[in-house]
Amino acid sequence: MALSRDEIMEKVREALVDALGVDEDEVVPTARIGPDLGAESIDYLDIVFRLEKAFNIKIPRGDLFPDNILTSEEFVQNKKLTEKGVAELRARMPHADLSKFEQNPNVDDIADLFTVNMIVGYVESKLSGAAA
Amino acid sequence: MRFYLVDRILELQPPGRIVAVKSLSLAEEYLADHFPAYPVLPGVMMLEALVQTAAWLVRVQTDFEKSLVLLREAQNVRYGNFVRPGGQLVMEVEAIEIGAGVSRFKAVGQCDGQQAVQAKLTLEHFNIGDEDPLRANLDAGLRTLLRERFRLVRGPQALAAQARS
Repeated sequence: MALSRDEIMEKVREALVDALGVDEDEVVPTARIGPDLGAESIDYLDIVFRLEKAFNIKIPRGDLFPDNILTSEEFVQNKKLTEKGVAELRARMPHADLSKFEQNPNVDDIADLFTVNMIVGYVESKLSGAAA
Repeated sequence: MRFYLVDRILELQPPGRIVAVKSLSLAEEYLADHFPAYPVLPGVMMLEALVQTAAWLVRVQTDFEKSLVLLREAQNVRYGNFVRPGGQLVMEVEAIEIGAGVSRFKAVGQCDGQQAVQAKLTLEHFNIGDEDPLRANLDAGLRTLLRERFRLVRGPQALAAQARS
């Protein structure tokens, strides 16, 4: 199944429209799932489920939206990520752009990292990984 | 867990407006998982708190006529800042329209002056007896419970304050 990035974007858009009740034209590549499209915790589960069905892939818990970052004081102190936390985030989210975030890693701003582009990148790598 | 998400009614101006608060305590059980190192009020709980606030306005406006006041639809739900333990979600709900069986509202929740949540809500109201005559007796019991809870959240005081002003 060799989907082009555009085709992947199209299916990701559909999944986000269905999960979040937003308009298609709101789902632009740089849109952030939380702050821009209105997703909150329970929506992330819904999005993962829809992506699994749309692309026939398995997304292990925490693979797309790492949920272990907020589970330990090793990673979070005083509402900011520790160095270990940032390193963990970097390891778990190879498709995210951390350059701005890591300058001031507030937990509140983690949601800025979950963009439509990030999801498309993740799906792309899953699909090409599966084909390899 | 008792999902009583309105702790106190601050202002009550039927039919159009209600302001209420939900305080967040570190002791709330669901925080243990949401999230272990960073407890915050889940968005769905914020939404439910807005719904319950709107529901009080319905009950006061209709004199507790219908025992069940439930969410039918939420639109344009947007989340902003987190609410952390020790914080208070101050919810301001304006009624667009309150009918006999359906009502619509614009709702906003703020914490420390920052917006945490907003939504357009449609609620529906009915008595159990309307759907199931054999269980109509439940409505009276629910009504009594809800009137008592209205006292617990200081509804009567809020009404009196508005009457004085």
